[in-house]
Amino acid sequence: MPSSTEPGSARAWAYFERWNRKLHFYVGLFLLFFVWLFAFSGLILNHPSWRFTEFWSTRTQTAYERTIAVPGPDVQGDLAQAREIMRQLGIVGEILWTTTRTDPSQFEFQVRRPGHYFFIKADFDRKRGAVQQSDVNAWGVIRTLHTFTGVQMDDPRNQRDWFLTSVWAYSMDAIAAGMLFMVLSSLFMWLKLPDRRVPGAVALGLGTLLCAVFCFGLRWFF
Amino acid sequence: MKAGFYRLTRDLHLYLGLFISPFILVFTISVFFLVHTWMPGLGRVKSTRHVVSMSPLPQGLQKLSGRPLIETLKPALQRAGVHGEVGFVRRLVQENILVIPVTVPGRETVVNLRMSDGEATIETREIGVANALVTLHKSPGQHGPDIRMNWFYMRVWRWMADATVYLILFVTISGVYLWYVLRGERAVGLVLLGAGALSFFGIVYALIH
Repeated sequence: MPSSTEPGSARAWAYFERWNRKLHFYVGLFLLFFVWLFAFSGLILNHPSWRFTEFWSTRTQTAYERTIAVPGPDVQGDLAQAREIMRQLGIVGEILWTTTRTDPSQFEFQVRRPGHYFFIKADFDRKRGAVQQSDVNAWGVIRTLHTFTGVQMDDPRNQRDWFLTSVWAYSMDAIAAGMLFMVLSSLFMWLKLPDRRVPGAVALGLGTLLCAVFCFGLRWFF
Repeated sequence: MKAGFYRLTRDLHLYLGLFISPFILVFTISVFFLVHTWMPGLGRVKSTRHVVSMSPLPQGLQKLSGRPLIETLKPALQRAGVHGEVGFVRRLVQENILVIPVTVPGRETVVNLRMSDGEATIETREIGVANALVTLHKSPGQHGPDIRMNWFYMRVWRWMADATVYLILFVTISGVYLWYVLRGERAVGLVLLGAGALSFFGIVYALIH
């Protein structure tokens, strides 16, 4: 005897299937340019020998010095001082700490944003800020966008300190979540095609096996 | 003809998409670890240390650097039971020691090789699956192209990573075609494609300028 809830659950299931398919299209279309960027930039990063993607040797460099006001006693800490100097110099971007400060009157740091690198040296005794700016081509921008998270796994000193770095980093999260959805929704759609199950299982099984060898297997074999 | 092309595209989209889906999982899951510098399971790292003799050492180690040094060291490392991708080898001149990092996805090994007598201290850290995903995500990567991919299996991974990109490009282009054929979905799809393009170029423009 059919359950009294069956028509409702069947309807809900059909609704789920329909929207799973629709969302697979919609999410894929929305993320299209982001996916192309990360796929293409990943390829470029994996092939540093491709000469046509060279960006550092073709950079344009400018150097200038400006008078700066020494940050007051209310501006505490390296991050606050760096922000104050950047404000005076009209520079925006993600701060990168590369040197340890030994002399309180000298302050060196880098600021980056895709396409632009600023090497800043502030001399509080002379009240001067020296800036070396390097601007790179579109290949450099593409590469930087792939890795522009503001943080590094092995360097806890560098934290995200620019609003747009956070926006981009959380965009990466959203794209990754969207791709996970694309994979899961495609698995569901495939399982709903009985005549495609066997060849699909072969393709999925082969991909899973190859991936598993690298994720888990190499540690067991070696 | 048109129907045949559609069916072929649909089947290839399905099967190639299924084939690369585990690779996409590797690259997407590791994004969360890289963006948030968060590594689950790192607190449970298992570390072992033992000392072996790697003598006789290959000739000319003192004069070599970069890839030739790695290639010369590899047979001795294999004899000592250390396999994997050899990283940048540091030379501690005063102590006359070579510090040799060797990576297998999920495991880090550091070999401190004393050049005077060939004694090697081997420290191995089992760093887990999350770390393995990050290692694979970043391999081969942009740094040290002259020394990277010196282990056969990582060269195979490079081909896999490249193939994943090419297949992603195919799957996305074929996906656009399969969507465009569905007239009922065109309007909403175009709006979302436009919204995605606007978001993408908007954020990129703001970051650059």
